[in-house]
Amino acid sequence: MRTRTGTDEVAAFRGVSKSYGTVDAVSGLDLVLRPGETVALLGPNGAGKSSSLDLLLGLREPDRGSVELFGGPPRAAIEAGRVGAMLQSGGLMNDVKVAELVAFACAIHPRGHRPEQVLADAGITELAGRRVDRLSGGQEQRVRFALAVAGANDLIVLDEPTTGMDVSVRQAFWATMRAQADAGRTVLFATHYLEEADSIADRVLVLHKGRLIADGTSAEIKAKAGARRIAFELHPSDGPVEERLLRSLPGTVSLDVTGRPDGVRTVRIRSTDADADVAALYRAGLYPRGLEVTGLGLEQAFLTITGEHDAAITGEHDAAGRSEFAKESAR
Amino acid sequence: MTTLIRLEILRTLRNKRYLMFTLLYPALLYVFFISAYSGGTVAGGVPAKSYFMVSMATFGAVGAVLTGSAQRISLERKSGWVRQLRLTALPGRAYTLGKIASCAVTTLPAIAVVFAIGAVEGVRLPAAQWLGLALALWLGSFVFAALGVALGYAAEPDAVQPAVMIVYMLMALFGGTWFPVSDSLKAFARFNPVYLYNQLAGFTRPGQSLDTGAVAGLAGFLVVFVAAAAVLYRRDSKAA
Repeated sequence: MRTRTGTDEVAAFRGVSKSYGTVDAVSGLDLVLRPGETVALLGPNGAGKSSSLDLLLGLREPDRGSVELFGGPPRAAIEAGRVGAMLQSGGLMNDVKVAELVAFACAIHPRGHRPEQVLADAGITELAGRRVDRLSGGQEQRVRFALAVAGANDLIVLDEPTTGMDVSVRQAFWATMRAQADAGRTVLFATHYLEEADSIADRVLVLHKGRLIADGTSAEIKAKAGARRIAFELHPSDGPVEERLLRSLPGTVSLDVTGRPDGVRTVRIRSTDADADVAALYRAGLYPRGLEVTGLGLEQAFLTITGEHDAAITGEHDAAGRSEFAKESAR
Repeated sequence: MTTLIRLEILRTLRNKRYLMFTLLYPALLYVFFISAYSGGTVAGGVPAKSYFMVSMATFGAVGAVLTGSAQRISLERKSGWVRQLRLTALPGRAYTLGKIASCAVTTLPAIAVVFAIGAVEGVRLPAAQWLGLALALWLGSFVFAALGVALGYAAEPDAVQPAVMIVYMLMALFGGTWFPVSDSLKAFARFNPVYLYNQLAGFTRPGQSLDTGAVAGLAGFLVVFVAAAAVLYRRDSKAA
């Protein structure tokens, strides 16, 4: 069992901003990671994920605000061997064998593991004798991972760790990662694969245009986005229905109604409370035909949240669902 | 840190390009020069086999050091290995020190190979002078290691590789590597570290002692290159 030990902070961003020229890579980030959490950092390309991780690891200095790891400067935590990291931009040493590189990583870690153990943990025992410069992309990723877990770290930071891995390797990778988390380590990973965040993380952070726009369990994020979709048809023979009624359903986030020449209307509702909506439909005396209620994936939830955020900052105060409705009806 | 240095040395010795360009190439050129001059002397009356033994040893040493530091550092900055190392407990300077240390070790074979050919071809020196010459050339190579580190942090590999080749070839051309520097050009050659480096061998000629002017000049270049390397390194670690 993973436990949360009181108010210890593994990592803390306080009012952190960083820009490159005119681009705000990270703006006003406030965030605390606690021991034992497995945290997914989600965001589209350019959302500031890699920049945030660079700041966290002390590879870059924030323009404003402060970043702490284990209550001190990032560099001190890294030198104490408390952090293992695998970055997209992290390269490997050429002209050496995998076993030599892993042995090196173990040797320089203040609390290094045995190289054989690390090779086994990362699932690369069979690559030990290979030259680093002759590996495939997925194999390279696993060597990078081995470097990140070469010692007894308290925090493991991974930036899109499964890029280039095929499905079976990816599953094995996450099994290893879960074992690390179960051993009490805090794991922070950035990913494009929403199902990874959904199935592995117990906390999901959504980063968009340098801002943290959602922070919660994946269930909470989905709920926030209006996480279920209700679809049905209304036939004219069942009596007239006003759209106003549909819009007033309790959990509705977005509404889309399309009509056919024969008068049949298809209704699609995105709802935070599908149960209440369906109950209300029947209470209002409607006869929804072909009723379907489906769960939204985290992916759609994510698109909804980032879309809402975009709408909000471009000054359209309509909910994203509304503007999407308008767009869809116009087609 | 010793682990890093050991690994750096191992991988350099394993690199085929290193073997080609810093061991084989100067050795072959040396053999070629000996046969081209067929036992004669170069301008100034120095036997060709002695003259080119020194100039090819320095040519190999400078090549070993510049490719070992400048090109590798720029390539590894680009590949992200430098970043990866910053995420380890190693102090930031360990990487640069490791590069310089491995350069220092890898210049020795470059010098030794050419010296061995020289000995076989009949260059005769007292044992103390063999050792003294090897030591002088070895220590002199540190100047170029510092230059290599500075170049490695100065730019991207695409720019660094041609820059290294041009700097290296020009310094060699006007530094007495291919032919003795003519008297009219000696005034300029004092500002060429390769020329000063070649001058270190002067003490092995009869009646001459160590060229202290060359030593002072090289020391000056060392200070300048180390300072440049330090500035460029700091700039790089801020923008990692």
